[in-house]
This record gives sequence, structure tokens and C-alpha cells, in this order.
Amino acid sequence: MKPADKRAYDKDYANAKKTGKPFFPYAIFKDTIIAGLTVVSIIVLAIVVKVEVGEPVNPATTDFVPRPEWYFYFAFELLKIFANQDVLTPVIMATFMVPNIMIILLVVWPFIDRGPERRIWKRPFAMGLVVIVTGMLCYLTYLGAQTPAGVAKGGLPVSGLDEEATKGMAVYIANGCGSCHMVAGVGAPGPGPDLTNEGAKGWDNAKMVAWLKAPKAPMPSYASLSPADLEALATFVNGLGTKYK
Amino acid sequence: MTTKDIGPKNAVQKGAEGTIDYVDERTGVKTGTRWFLFRNIPAGTSWFQTLGFTAMVVFGMQAITGIILAMYYVPDTRGGAYESIQRITEEVTWGWLVRGMHKWGASVMIIIVFLHMARVFIWGAYKYPRELTWVTGAMLLLLTMFMGLTGYLLVWDQKAYWATVVAVNIFASAPIVGPYIGDILRAGPEFGPSTLSRFYSIHMLVIPAGIATFIGLHLYFIVRLGISEPPWSKRRLRIERDEEDARRKAARERAKELPGAVNYPATWPAKAEEAAR
Repeated sequence: MKPADKRAYDKDYANAKKTGKPFFPYAIFKDTIIAGLTVVSIIVLAIVVKVEVGEPVNPATTDFVPRPEWYFYFAFELLKIFANQDVLTPVIMATFMVPNIMIILLVVWPFIDRGPERRIWKRPFAMGLVVIVTGMLCYLTYLGAQTPAGVAKGGLPVSGLDEEATKGMAVYIANGCGSCHMVAGVGAPGPGPDLTNEGAKGWDNAKMVAWLKAPKAPMPSYASLSPADLEALATFVNGLGTKYK
Repeated sequence: MTTKDIGPKNAVQKGAEGTIDYVDERTGVKTGTRWFLFRNIPAGTSWFQTLGFTAMVVFGMQAITGIILAMYYVPDTRGGAYESIQRITEEVTWGWLVRGMHKWGASVMIIIVFLHMARVFIWGAYKYPRELTWVTGAMLLLLTMFMGLTGYLLVWDQKAYWATVVAVNIFASAPIVGPYIGDILRAGPEFGPSTLSRFYSIHMLVIPAGIATFIGLHLYFIVRLGISEPPWSKRRLRIERDEEDARRKAARERAKELPGAVNYPATWPAKAEEAAR
């Protein structure tokens, strides 16, 4: 904004104030009504939709879809979008780049858009941004609110399993890997990548066990599983799409 | 009615005025109140401009319900946290209501804060001289989100636990500083008893202190700079109409002075403007 524009605004605002009304009681009156209505609706919500107590924490079983509060669904969906494309757009895009760019843009926005214009119809770019960002947030939140696909409790449509792989599949199901991964269309579509063709990567079991113990974020570590279980799980996952279809 | 202000003052009134004067001499509370409450605001101030105050009131409600919950909550993973949440919900008088209000209050606060931000953005109210007011507001939005993130773990149920494991892993995935942030949040390399008390402390001490600080700054800026005027207030529209009229009039005047210009009658202003182009 040029100095002349600043002076013009200061003068105009001083006029607006001079011909204005006192904060108390005019603004306070409106404020109190809206704030009061909001608090009343919170109390009504608390009475109508009672809070529940979930299952107690059990770090040994991950048989649970990790779902954040609804206002983080958009970030969660972002993870899913980037999860299956680890080459071109690594997960770091979703976990680090995109959120941080958004936060920085949010904070410094007034230093980017410095024009004096305030009228809505004269700021098509800013208004377009409002519509796009709000629309995207709403859409991602809506996607996140969809009930997740089954966590593969009933088993996976995979055949050709030998003894070790059958044990591995049991470990897979018992530990709720299906709450983040999909195999042959069963399980949640994210945040983890689809494992239907995981065997095609050609990893050996030692590499897979090391990965399971210390995976890349946001996947939690499975170091708490017994070595035998880890070995069976690695055999099962390493054969997906190749030996076991 | 005529003799009211004659004679000695009522002792109570005299005492009250004396007390106020005593305090004012030492604190300037009268000036402060006048500065805060009786400042003028633009006449066209709209209902949309109540959202900031509402967010502050909801934060106050969260503080009160949070204090009550803290009286019963035990941040102990070895049988305590989950059981105390159960006790608050099922046994403590009105406990279910206070917990419900705190939980719903969090969601409502996020919505109100977002709407407040949308209003400021759409109106261009972040422009000169209110840029720093926006920056403090953006900080408040981020702190509110962190409040939701840290509070979610405290109920210590499966859903909360696994969502937070994933969330902390996301922080830990940041380059260079990520692993340190992860260790700081978890209070070590693994999720455990210290993680819960750390989240509890962050949720009820660190972030509230940050929010209170930024609310203070935000309010100071608002009072100092004044609340913005709606871009379509009656006063603004009148000014714009006047400017438009003046512009048209000047165009007509110019048209008259053009060589060979036809003097269109005043009833044909559109034609005159056309000629001026």
C-alpha cells in the first residue's frame, strides 16, 4: 500500500469512527447475543449427544483404525492421497511440505496482499482462493468422515498360502494392519499404501523385519511383536502379489 | 426533584466514589475503561463481527470446564487416566455434562475461529493497519488446533491413542528437527506413561498460556486500531456514489471543452460521457 493510500485509509477510518457509535453498549449487545447462543448450543449438544468412553488403550493390539478428531480429517486425507505415490511425491509432501506451506501462507498473507481494495467484487483472486480453499477443506473433511472400509477382520482374499504365510496373515489381521493398508481391495485405503503387489518389490525378510521395527512415519513401529511373528508377517507381506495372490 | 444535588452526599455514594478515585489515582482504571468500553466504533458494524468475541467466550468456557475436569482427571497410564475419565462420565455429579461441554466446545471453537478468519479474509480486514492483528489471529488458530491434538490423547482410549501415535509420527517425520520434536512430544523414543503427563501439561499449561498471551495482544491491537468497517457500510456506499457522480460530472465537463463538441443537454449525460472517451 502506498503512503497516500495509507493516509487516505486513516482519514476515512477516523471519519467512520467520528460518525460511529460507542463500543459499549452497541457492539457488546450483539456480541453477547451471539456468544450466548453459542454457549447454549454447546450445552444442548452436550446433553443431546452424550460423550462416550471408548475402549481402554492396549498398545499390544493395533486392531483399530487410527482416526483423529474431525477437524484433522483433511490432514488425514492428505496423507492418504500421498501415501500411494512414494516416488514422485513422497509422504513428506503430506506430512511436512503441504502443511507448512499452508501455515506460512496463512501467517504472512497480509504481507502478500497489500492492495488498498477491500470490496469483495473488486478482489476476484482473493475470493477465488476463499472458495477453493474452503471447498477443498470441506471435501477432504467429508472424505475423512466416510466410514472406513473394513479392517480385514474376516481374512483376506489371498490364496496359495503356505504354513508360514497363514501365520503371517493371522498376525496381519490381529494387529490391524488393515486399518491403514489394503490388500486385494480389503482394508482401509490409507493412510498406508496398498499392499496388494508388495511382493513385486522383491524385499527379503530381514529388510521387511527391519522396516516393521522402524518404519517411516506416519506408520507406527511394530518392534513389540515377537521375532517369530515379525518373521511370519514379513514372509506374508513379501509374497503378496507374487506367491500369494 | 429540584433539591437532590444540594447538601451532603449519601455516605455510601461518597465512600464508593472515594474508593474509585483512590484506585484510579494509582492504576488509571477510569481512563482504561473509557479507552476500552466507550471508544467509538464505525456505525455499520455487522453481526458477522461478533465471531471473535464468541471465540473468546468459548475459550473461557473451555477454561472453566477444563479446570473442573482437571479436578477429577488422573494423568496416569498405569490404571488411572482411563478410569478417571470413566468416573467423570459415569459417577461424578454433572461430570458427563462438563466433559460433554468441553468436548463439544472444542469442535464449536474450531468452527467459530474458522468462520471468524473467513469473515476477516473476505472483508479484507487484514489490510493496513491490521496486518499484525491477523498474524496474532493466525497464531491463535494454530494454538487452537494444537489444543485439540493434545487434548484428544488425554481420554486414553484406543481411538485417541492410535490417532496420536500417528500424529506424533507425522511431526517426527520433519527433516532435521523432526526426530527431536518427536522425542520432546513423546518424552522419549516410545509412547508411555511420561507421554501422557507431557501431553497433559502441554494441554493445560503451555498452550493456554500461549492462547492467553495472543488473545491479549489481539485485543490490544483491535482496541488500538479499531474494528474494521464493513466494505459495504452505508457510509462507504455513499462515499463511493459521490465519487462516481463527481467522476461522471468531470467527464461531462471535459466533453464540453473538446473541439467541435456538441453541447448535449444535461438530460443526456450518457451521450456526453461517450463523447468524452
